Formats: sequence, C-alpha cells, structure tokens
Amino acid sequence: MKFYSILLLLLIVSSCKNEPKQETISIIESEKLELKYAEGFSVDYYENYKVLSITKPWPKAEKTYRYVIISKENMAKTTFKTNEFDGIIINPLETIVVTSTTHIPSLELLNVEETLIGFPGTNYVSSEKTRQRIDDEKVRELGKNEGINTEVLLELNPDVVIGFGVDGVNKTFEIIKKADIPVIYNGDWVESSALAKAEWIKLFGVLFNKEKEADSIFNQIENDYLAAKSIAKNAKRVPTVLSGAMHKEVWYLPNGSSSEAQFLKDANLNYLWSDTTGNGSLALSFEVVLEKAQDTELWLSPSYYGSLQQLEEANSLYTNFEAFKNKNIYTFANTTGATGGVLYYELGTARPDLVLKDIIKIAHPELLGDYEPYFFKELK
Amino acid sequence: MKTNHTYSFIILIAILLLCFILNISLGSVSIPFSEVFESLFGTTQNNTYDIIINKVRLPKAITAIMVGSGLGISGLLMQTLFRNPLAGPFVLGISSGASLGVALVILGSGLFGGLFATALATKWSIVIAASLGSFLVLLAVLAVSNKVRDTMAILIIGLMFGSITAAVVSVLSYFSSAEQLQQYIFWGFGSLSNLSWEELLIFFGIYAIGILLSVASIKGLNSLLLGDNYAKSLGLNLKQSRLIIILATSLIAGTITAFAGPIAFIGLAIPHLTRQVFKTTNHKILLPAVFLVGAIVMLICDTIAQVPNSDYTLPINAITALVGAPVVIWLLVRQRKMMF
Repeated sequence: MKFYSILLLLLIVSSCKNEPKQETISIIESEKLELKYAEGFSVDYYENYKVLSITKPWPKAEKTYRYVIISKENMAKTTFKTNEFDGIIINPLETIVVTSTTHIPSLELLNVEETLIGFPGTNYVSSEKTRQRIDDEKVRELGKNEGINTEVLLELNPDVVIGFGVDGVNKTFEIIKKADIPVIYNGDWVESSALAKAEWIKLFGVLFNKEKEADSIFNQIENDYLAAKSIAKNAKRVPTVLSGAMHKEVWYLPNGSSSEAQFLKDANLNYLWSDTTGNGSLALSFEVVLEKAQDTELWLSPSYYGSLQQLEEANSLYTNFEAFKNKNIYTFANTTGATGGVLYYELGTARPDLVLKDIIKIAHPELLGDYEPYFFKELK
Repeated sequence: MKTNHTYSFIILIAILLLCFILNISLGSVSIPFSEVFESLFGTTQNNTYDIIINKVRLPKAITAIMVGSGLGISGLLMQTLFRNPLAGPFVLGISSGASLGVALVILGSGLFGGLFATALATKWSIVIAASLGSFLVLLAVLAVSNKVRDTMAILIIGLMFGSITAAVVSVLSYFSSAEQLQQYIFWGFGSLSNLSWEELLIFFGIYAIGILLSVASIKGLNSLLLGDNYAKSLGLNLKQSRLIIILATSLIAGTITAFAGPIAFIGLAIPHLTRQVFKTTNHKILLPAVFLVGAIVMLICDTIAQVPNSDYTLPINAITALVGAPVVIWLLVRQRKMMF
C-alpha cells in the first residue's frame, strides 16, 4: 500500500515538473541588431528568420513580447511552436495599421507609407504624403482615440498592427490578436532620451527588411543632433528657461530627467528644474513656479495656448513673468497640419535633431545662421 | 440663553479672522509673517511675495469664504424647505445643470466640432456655460414647483435632472479626447484659485443677492419647520416663500458652481455641524452661524489643500470630504442624535 502511495506521489510530482520548452527549429546563427540608445526592443537574426523582442512596451512591463519575422518561402519550410511567440509576421509586409501619429514619420522616412491602410483618428495626421493618401481614401478611419473600430480593422486584415499601450490592458488588441493579426507594441515613448525614441525607426526597418536604410537614416539624425549639441556649447550665455503651464492650480513642467529637459540641456540652456528626477511631469503650485521662474528669460511650450491673449485670458497671473512681459515665449502648438494635427507630436519623436536645432536657434540665434525653426514659433 | 449665542458668535468671528490670516500666510512658498502684512498693505519691496499674497492667496481666501458660507446657507435652506436632513444645495439639479453646460463647452467639440472647437474652453465660456446650465434647470424646477404642490416631488425631479445630465455627459465623454476629458475632470475637482479680481466682483454681486434673499426668507423658513399646514395657518404665503428660497439657493449655488466648480460635502454638512454647536433650529441664529462656520471650514480645508511648504496642491474636493466628513460623524456619534 505504502509503495503505491509513494509511486502515486512521484507520478504527480513528475507530471507537475516544468519541462523547458524546445524550439522545433534549429538555431544556426544569431546576431543582434545594433542599437546605440534604444533599450525597449532587440532583434536577433537567425538563418531563416528574425526574432523581435519588445522588452519594454510600457513602464513596469513584466513580460517580453516576442515575434518571429519570416519570409513566405521560409515559412513554408519551417515550423514554430506558435504559443511561444506573440505573433508570426510574414514579411515583406504589404499592409500595416499604425495607431499613433509618431509611427507615421518612420513609414515615410523608409518610403513604405503606401503600406498604411488604416489609422485611428486620421484628422490628427499632418504629414502631406500620408494626408494625401487619407484624402484619396487609401487609409481607412478606424475610429477615435483608443476605441478602435474592431470590425473595420478585422475587415482590413492588415499584416500587422503597430499598437501602443500604457499598460497591457487593451480589449481591442486582444480581439485582433485572436483573429491572428499580430499586434506589436511600440514602446518608443517609454525611452528616456530623444535619440533612443528616434532609434525605434529601426524597428520598422526590421519589419520591412530595410535595416540598412533605417540605420543610415538614424545615423544621419544622430549626427545632426550631436553636431547641433556641440554647436550649442559655443554659446557665450546660458539663458534660463521655463516650460509648461497651469491646468487649474497645478503647473505641469518636465522633470529634469525627461527627454524634454534633455533637449534644454543639450541646447545649452539653464532649466530651473534640471535637478529633479522621476517619472511623469512635475506638478507644482503657481507660487513655487513664480518664486523660482519670475525672471526667467525664455518660456517654451506653454501648454496648448496659441497666443499671448489666450494665455492671459486663461489666467492673468501669467503676465507676471518676465518672459511674458518681454514676449519671449515660444510654442509648437501653432505649427499644425491641414486638419489641425500638431506637427510636433507627429514628427518630433522621429526628428529630435530638428527639435534641438529649433531650441538652439531660439536660445542662441547667432549660432545657427539662417536656420528657420521647424516646430517652434513665437507666441504672439 | 441669548448671551450664550452672543459669546459663540464672538468666538466664531475671532476664529474666522484667525483662519483668514492663517490661510493667507500659509502656502507652497513660505513667506515671513512680516512680509505677509507688508504685502497686504502694499509696502513690501519683494515683487514675488506681493504677487503671491495679493493676486493668488487673497482672492483665494475671499473665494473660500464666499464658497463655504454660500454653500452652507444653501444647504440649510434646502434642508429646511424639503424637511430632509440629506438635502443639499445641489438637490435641485443645480450642479447637474452646471455640469451639463460645462460638459457641452469642454467635451462638446468632439461631437459638434466647428463652432465649439473654435470657442476654446476659456474660463469665461465655462463660467457662462455653468451659469446658463444651472439657470435653465432652475427655470424648469420653478415651472414644476408651480404645478406640483409637493416639495418631495420637486426633490425627486431635481434628482432625475441629475440622472439625465449624467447620461448626456457620458455620451459626450465617449466622443472626447483625453485632453478634453482631463479638463472636464479637473473642473469637477473644484477649485478656489485662479479667480481674478473682476471675476470675484461679479461672483460677489450675485452671491450677495442670494444671501439677501435668504435673509429675507428667515421668517418663512422658521414657519416651514412646523409643517406646510401650520405655516399656512400663520398666514404665510407658502408659494412665495418657497419661490424665494429656491431662487436664493439657485443663485448662490449656481454662481459658486460656475466659478469654483462643484464643491462637495460643504453644503450638506455645514448646517448639521452648526446645529450641533448652537443647538437651535431658529433660523435667525442658524443663518449667520452657518455663514461663519461654512467660511471657517472652507478656509481650513483650503489651507490643508495647499499643503503648506510643499510644492504640491491637492484638489479641494478631496479635502472637504476627507476632513469634514469624519468631523460630522464624530459629532453625531458624540451627540447620539441628529438635531433637525
């Protein structure tokens, strides 16, 4: 009797043991995609396919999302344990749906914008190329905000959906995944530096087999950024700078470790809150901001306000700042596309070099000659 | 008995003064006491302190006094009119009407586009929308109260207005962007600051009319406590009294909601708190007492919400309930019964 119970126990224990899962395909050669700044994704190359890992799709992500990217021919002769991956993507991609305007410049820079067949909130898109395709009805409207119209998306049946999420909870994406449409979470916004965010163009390079192009585009952007940064170091003066504006009684400012603050530092500006750290913006009371920043020379990005009058109407307290009195306020809110989308939100992530040059031109006009700011305009 | 109340009033006025000075002295930026007074009397050399005291803290403290006293009085009027201890200034649907107006301005652009989108949700458009909203609801309630004799029915109709508004707001929210929703939610948190002196003047004008109307209805309120029939037998024009009371509440609560957002808890709790302290149901005493207690509580809540000497501020609505509700519970438990 005792023997049998021991045997039974052994059986139970051994059946519970977790066997390490084995891939049925043989790994022949592995090399990694070279990434200089980005930390949220990686790509491994094998003989017949690539594996894309998204390690940080959102802050506090616990799971790494892994995708196989493989050509049609190789797919026919390879088998996968599909449950080990979050999606099998057959490339070259013919159709794609992206969900954030920040993804669109990557498509355009790689000359694959014609693969885009759907977008939620097409009115936010400002780039002329894609705008034209939307007007020609080649890009379907997928609904507003995060409430993507699942039925239209399923009907479009794109090769891949590039999503983004603040956490892993998104019912729409779950339904899309069930329909065997892979969803890749783009985590560019989680990266802590502007160049790291811009480097996510390499993800699109991998998807479209355009690694080399993506690499050279990014190198160009990086070179331009670093060149501008070193030019800024020649400035004779380091002006003080203030940023943000109030929502009700709370003044939101970028914290010192944010990529916005990095821009200000790289542009050789003295940002008064550069010694702060943390996630998200600083939320300060008006009194604290006034005490510290009343005499600040320059004021960048006062929220969404488009004119000095709007700023004053929203709160007459703003007029107490020197930067307001001297009309030394610059905003990107007025640089919009044909349907009102703010260009900075769309292109700013992909082109940090332009953002930095804009700020340098504003802060040290003598350094950049006849450069015309691209996003930032004086608030009038 | 009468001298008792005199002492209580003197103490309350002293506390009010103290709270007022405390409120102005404390904030995110610590300002020396001498500088506070120099700023108030315009003799300070420090420009920053001058702006903080005279343009930020002083208008906010005055707003707090008006909001606290006004909501307290509206609450008292409603509780007496409906003979219901759970009634507050917002039962008539005043806050619902205001919310709907504000929601249409802030969230409406998503649904209507064009016209609404260009009329950026500035502060004045929000104030006007909130006033219009509560005024329209008030008109509807007045029309109903002319037809319906029963005060309970009016109470229920007010609640129904609230439900309809909530439904419309949720439809609007569904079609709105994240920024618009944030703006609307922030309005809902309530705020005592950001009022300029001109806005305060308009606020005060309407508020004062409301307060005068409520003082005029003291006799009616005292008779109402005894029941509709008894009030009638005293020769009171019930319909007229009811009208004045509703009008006063709407003016006070409507204008407060328009300028400071829907402030929770104060309207309901202050009358109870005051009755516990003064142990009377006579509105001749209750009305000024509620005025003082409301102003004091609001000043204290605001001082706490500013989190003195920290960089942060908290939404006033969180503090009013968080600080106030336990006090009322403690008072009621200690007294073992509700004075009503």
